[in-house]
Amino acid sequence: MNEATVVATSSPSMPWRSLMPWAISLAVMAVLPFLFDGGTAFTLMNVIGINIVFAMSYNMLLGQGGMLSFGHAVFFGMGSYAAMHAMNAIDEASYTGEGFWAHIPVVSMPLVGMIAGGLVALVIGWPFCRRAGTAFAMITLGLGELVAAAGQMFPSLFGGEAGIFANRMVGPQWFGMELSSARDVYGFIAFWTLLAVAAMWAFTRTPLGRMSNAVRDNPDRMAFIGYQPRNIRYLIFIASGAFGGLAGGMAAVNYEIITPESLGLIPSGMALLMAAVGGLGVFYGPIVGAIVVTLINSMLSDYTDASILYVGLIFLSIVMFAPRGLAGGIEQVRVAWRQGELTACLPGWLAGAAAVLLIATGLSLAVELLFHWRHGSDGISQFFGMALNETSVWQWAAVIALVASGVGLMRATQTLRESAQ
Amino acid sequence: MMKMFLAGVVSTLLMATAAQAAEPVKIALIDPLSGPMAAAGQPAYEHLKFAAERINANGGMNGHPVEIVGLDNKLSPQESLVQLQKAMDDGVDFITQGNGSAVASALIASIEKHNRRNPGEERLFLNYAAVDPAFTNERCSFWHFRFDANSDMKMNALTDYLADQKNIKKVYLVNQDYSHGHSVSKQARRMLKEKRPDIEVVGNDFHPLAKVKDFTPYISKIQASGADAVITGNWGQDMTLLVKAAADFGLDAPFFTYYGASSGVVTQLGDKGVGRLYQINEYYGDFEDPEMAQRQLDFYKKANWDFYYLRLSNMLDMLKKAADQEKSVNPVVIAKALEGMTLTSTTGELLMRAEDHQIQLPMFISVMDDEMKYGAEGTEFNFHKVARIERDDVTLPTTCRMRRPK
Repeated sequence: MNEATVVATSSPSMPWRSLMPWAISLAVMAVLPFLFDGGTAFTLMNVIGINIVFAMSYNMLLGQGGMLSFGHAVFFGMGSYAAMHAMNAIDEASYTGEGFWAHIPVVSMPLVGMIAGGLVALVIGWPFCRRAGTAFAMITLGLGELVAAAGQMFPSLFGGEAGIFANRMVGPQWFGMELSSARDVYGFIAFWTLLAVAAMWAFTRTPLGRMSNAVRDNPDRMAFIGYQPRNIRYLIFIASGAFGGLAGGMAAVNYEIITPESLGLIPSGMALLMAAVGGLGVFYGPIVGAIVVTLINSMLSDYTDASILYVGLIFLSIVMFAPRGLAGGIEQVRVAWRQGELTACLPGWLAGAAAVLLIATGLSLAVELLFHWRHGSDGISQFFGMALNETSVWQWAAVIALVASGVGLMRATQTLRESAQ
Repeated sequence: MMKMFLAGVVSTLLMATAAQAAEPVKIALIDPLSGPMAAAGQPAYEHLKFAAERINANGGMNGHPVEIVGLDNKLSPQESLVQLQKAMDDGVDFITQGNGSAVASALIASIEKHNRRNPGEERLFLNYAAVDPAFTNERCSFWHFRFDANSDMKMNALTDYLADQKNIKKVYLVNQDYSHGHSVSKQARRMLKEKRPDIEVVGNDFHPLAKVKDFTPYISKIQASGADAVITGNWGQDMTLLVKAAADFGLDAPFFTYYGASSGVVTQLGDKGVGRLYQINEYYGDFEDPEMAQRQLDFYKKANWDFYYLRLSNMLDMLKKAADQEKSVNPVVIAKALEGMTLTSTTGELLMRAEDHQIQLPMFISVMDDEMKYGAEGTEFNFHKVARIERDDVTLPTTCRMRRPK
């Protein structure tokens, strides 16, 4: 590679500051197991860990490389399938205790997934990377559908509708990790999540990582100064596919099953959703997005039948009103704090947040009332302890009052926010 | 006489109070309850709640009231495992699911592993509609019970019926291009060859799963082949659109289906399905049994769904019988009691075969008809019984080698 001339400029003056986020993440991950009891919390944290790596690998493409992909689940799924077949090979080999696979521990499966994801990207990626933008989006959409359809048609490799499954409690154990319950798997997931995120952070500091930003912002200029945008996109595509496969390998160990749906459009859309909700422009954006979207996905349906509608509404409003995502908001506050402007900005922002909260409450009350009217009582017909009744004028009046006061507050405090800027 | 009456009253009262006081037995339904596939999960959820009410009014399971918990899996196997964990933390001992063999496969594998890794905390998986034959053959598990006929049994019953239809000489197979569709096609060809060697399979088409909007090209191929009957394992929109296209095209050949009576089909097809759409199922839409007719009326009034899942009622009845007989609601005890249990249902005697935990039951061929006494989905159409296939003719041998806990 001849990109070595481009050197990443980092500020060596304050090394502790750049290490802080990692130390905090490590501390949080170490403390979390002591805060929770019961399998659900651990199951959810494991899913969140997998989704963090998945969403971040997706953001290498979209946020950093400017390539909108609708087929990222292909790498996730292929990594998962490879890890699953490897786990079955370990299972087979551990009966006799002979052969290559008998010495491979299950905790290394994410590496198998990473190799598989990277290889798939290496093989299929070259023709895709000629253009970014719409052409790339359309091609990846087709790729995703193609692989998902093929997954249903070749049962020997993909296991047909029932998928393929494996047992994670086989082979040699490292560090006494038994991987029996969700709690055991947490350690495994936390380790790989941290490692993968650190590796992806390191990637952004490499010359290639910097050039991926350049190729996103201005591919023509890149071409003028002698870098083939296509080559750079191809390399990013492979790296992103490899990390997607790594997430798939983690998923293989966590779920112990993989089905062809995992290759399709829905999980690919999830990656986009998580990255966009969290914020494409901020490195840790997809982490925030993965946490929020996973929790909404798995928990909200316990409280309302309209959970999918809310996911859509959140996505819509973030894309329309806060294109920098949740992490973009966090960054804004952090930068203001750094520059000492927080006290000036805070009243306007807090008022804005309160207004958004009022509007959101009003709208969700309206949604719940409509659902109650359409589907009748479904055991969840409560809203902040209030029994829903779509024929009550007061409840509809409350909707209007909440939304109106929210909009009013937004208007009234508009000047506050503008003056702060 | 009076004494007996009083004793009866007292014992029912006692049972009723015991049912209220005792810890509820939770049964979790893990199925799509929101989004585009909710129409597949919601009726089952309502059926279960409806059946649980009846069980609770009759004293519950050994005095414990039954509580149904609905958990939304969005039809994703991975999400189902998260929901399974939630159910387990919530103290649910019985898990039920039916939509999608992929989800069932994930749940069976996960529950099997959980039970092996956590002795004393066993959970049971009650499968009410996932029809992959593997679950009661090579992949059979002690912790899995299937209350629906599997795909091969349905084909066995269907081909029994076709074998008697002397006017059918040419059969066309249309199926979805994935494991279920391929298995339906394979079994249809094998069983027809065995039972009616003179029937010619004039076509065997696979189309992409849930992607085809216009089936006219397939229908014109069927027309050109001169087929007397079509067999399809299609479900969902692939089922409705296929039969609709046939009606619009003017194809007269009857369609023999697995899922002709799934929700929405009757409304969408209307009179286009009459005399054309057959289905093989454990029940039909005549409701000659007044008790079942009452259930259809009550259920439609209460939940706005038809009484389609007789097997969910049977499932809860069997659980109740096992619990009352063993005086326990422990999942392991119930599992052992369910093995080989019989239940007299409105359609005859059902048997939960001990070797593979596959229910054995009589099946019915019915055809969509108009002017039915109990119309489906508020219409005048429903499925009218054409033939009954006895339990002994539906049954198939199993390759299961069950591993039982001590």
